[in-house]
Amino acid sequence: MLHVNSISKTYHSKPALNDISLTVQHGESIGIIGESGSGKSTLGKIILGLDKPDQGEVHFRGNNLHTLNGKALKKLRRQLQIVFQDSAGSLNPKLPVWKSVVEPLENYPDVIPSFLKEVRHNRKKMAEVLFQKVGLSPELLERYPHQLSGGQKQRIAVARGITLEPDLLVCDEPTSSLDVSVQAQVLNLLKKLQKDLNLSFLFISHDIAAVQFMCERIVVLKEGLAVDSFLTEDLFSQSRHPYTKLLVEMSMEQENKIEENQHFYT
Amino acid sequence: MIENKTTATSENNLLVVENLSVTVRNSREKLIRNLHFSIPQGEIFGLVGESGSGKSLTATVILGMLSKSLEVTSGSVKLGQSEITSLSERELRNIRGKEIAYLSQNYQSFFTPFIKVGKQFIEIIRCHTDMSRKEARKVAIHWLNKVHLPAERVFNSFSDELSGGQLQRAAIASAIMFRPKLIIADEPTTALDVLTGERILDLLSELKEELNCSILLISHDLKHIINRTRTVGVMYGGRIVEIGKTSAVLANPIHPYTDLLLQSRLRLNKHIQHELPTMLGEPGLIAEEGCPFSKRCPSVRESCSNKVPMSSLGTHHSAACHLVKAEREERYVTR
Ligand SMILES: Nc1ncnc2c1ncn2[C@@H]1O[C@H](COP(=O)(O)OP(=O)(O)OP(=O)(O)O)[C@@H](O)[C@H]1O
Ligand SMILES: Nc1ncnc2c1ncn2[C@@H]1O[C@H](COP(=O)(O)OP(=O)(O)OP(=O)(O)O)[C@@H](O)[C@H]1O
Ligand code: SF4
Ligand SMILES: [Mg+2]
Ligand SMILES: [Mg+2]
Repeated sequence: MLHVNSISKTYHSKPALNDISLTVQHGESIGIIGESGSGKSTLGKIILGLDKPDQGEVHFRGNNLHTLNGKALKKLRRQLQIVFQDSAGSLNPKLPVWKSVVEPLENYPDVIPSFLKEVRHNRKKMAEVLFQKVGLSPELLERYPHQLSGGQKQRIAVARGITLEPDLLVCDEPTSSLDVSVQAQVLNLLKKLQKDLNLSFLFISHDIAAVQFMCERIVVLKEGLAVDSFLTEDLFSQSRHPYTKLLVEMSMEQENKIEENQHFYT
Repeated sequence: MIENKTTATSENNLLVVENLSVTVRNSREKLIRNLHFSIPQGEIFGLVGESGSGKSLTATVILGMLSKSLEVTSGSVKLGQSEITSLSERELRNIRGKEIAYLSQNYQSFFTPFIKVGKQFIEIIRCHTDMSRKEARKVAIHWLNKVHLPAERVFNSFSDELSGGQLQRAAIASAIMFRPKLIIADEPTTALDVLTGERILDLLSELKEELNCSILLISHDLKHIINRTRTVGVMYGGRIVEIGKTSAVLANPIHPYTDLLLQSRLRLNKHIQHELPTMLGEPGLIAEEGCPFSKRCPSVRESCSNKVPMSSLGTHHSAACHLVKAEREERYVTR
């Protein structure tokens, strides 16, 4: 469904992405991990057509995303949605949040997502359903972004991302500011949506545990290069790239430290 | 109310929050209720809790930056000898940035767009000191290096040219460079991978040693809270429901919310899970009467609809839950 063909991107003569290729099948979820500044968000933006690669191309359902324009592009865009890393900045500060959540529907009046069929005549009801899906209380519908906590805003961004029932959802750190219990809920939700709606995911995260739970395949970026790419079940395999091993080790180490603490004091 | 002994009686407390409550002005909705905690000099205090439970709001009160639509209805916040809630805006401005460094959860909007990051650093430095531009530039580069950034490049960039984690680290650098007495770090590692996140926390720990300052670490990342803090407070529905020495709380979480929180930690797993365990009920569901967690608590009983005071379990640990009493009796019997 999505083919990323050998793309490179350089900012001020510093390469941010270097010859990246990647395929996403229908209903598949791919995780992108890598250290801060390794090019994850840049890749996400290029795949959404929000930025142009210097080299290479991105094909979505057979169309080159960076040469399309006008109506054709708009039609394609509907199928591609993003939950931004900067959840606060992606919401309009002057709108009550429920309006932001259903706003994508205004641009596509003909689209009625399957899970909103029963309430399709009422925008606010739609927002309510979406709020419920991400575990937000209806009391928050009328709030403005500045009246919400970090985690509440992030869930609003997730709700907005699924409003149009896209084919591919790019999630850039969608759960990083959620507490663990809400995070578990949102991840379960995303996984369920993926199954129910046959969504594809590009799941960008620095949390390996979250990526392991969400994704079938994992790509590891380091300084703009894809240094490793593998099926999630092979995460612990000996043949992993040393950098992947390091990330896994670090996470295990933190975890072991906790367990040591726990045993020490009980 | 039984005071928390670990935190309230110590002589060398830098920050003391007592009976703090915050309310929305027009609706009278209570957002924070009767908060008690304190941070001794040179210690890291952790604050965890549900999204929306009032952690950032608590930080805002300590900074004297509460939104106009909200109001402190009771309590006090003391930093050293100063009572924050009664300071003027000018006095507050002096404290902020210099004595208290705030690493906001909202780091994305920390820098103004269209002005280079370096220029903003120089302005901040010159606003608090009488350094020349050249000296200020040196200081800025020094601190950008400290947070493991390519200093020169970041200095010459606009904020939208930096990645999420780079921005977060630049914001951290600008906050800590005045050698504050208190650092409030609100989710300082959300945009950082494991390696970079650990390095930033190492840096904060080093600073703490070097300056003997205190740190209020607000984080969803239980790994950081557990491995880095000495004392921890767990918030639910605007209240601290459990507080104590981190090791004691971890070894024996009394409040069911704390217990469930610790259990729902996401871990790397040898076998992949199909569904993550979640807590009962909707997030943010808060009971008005009695225990705020009673609508979601697996151990709820009749007495939970009555007021639940904080009671202590040993000198270093207390919780606002009826289970404390049962736990105490059990200990007594088994002894
Ligand atoms: N518009 C831009 N102009 C110049 N440089 C940029 C721009 N956008 C990104 N960069 C640089 O490209 C590199 C990759 O950035 P990107 O945002 O893709 O990183 P990331 O992997 O998402 O990192 P993080 O985990 O910190 O969000 C970084 O070094 C960043 O500074
Ligand atoms: N100006 C405001 N008006 C009304 N309610 C507000 C306002 N600011 C915050 N709130 C509410 O107060 C509660 C506490 O918010 P706070 O930002 O402290 O949460 P938090 O514990 O930091 O959560 P998170 O972990 O998601 O950042 C939230 O329910 C939020 O919606
Ligand atoms: S007081 Fe009751 S409802 Fe509240 S946490 Fe304890 S057992 Fe559960
Ligand atoms: Mg990014
Ligand atoms: Mg917060």
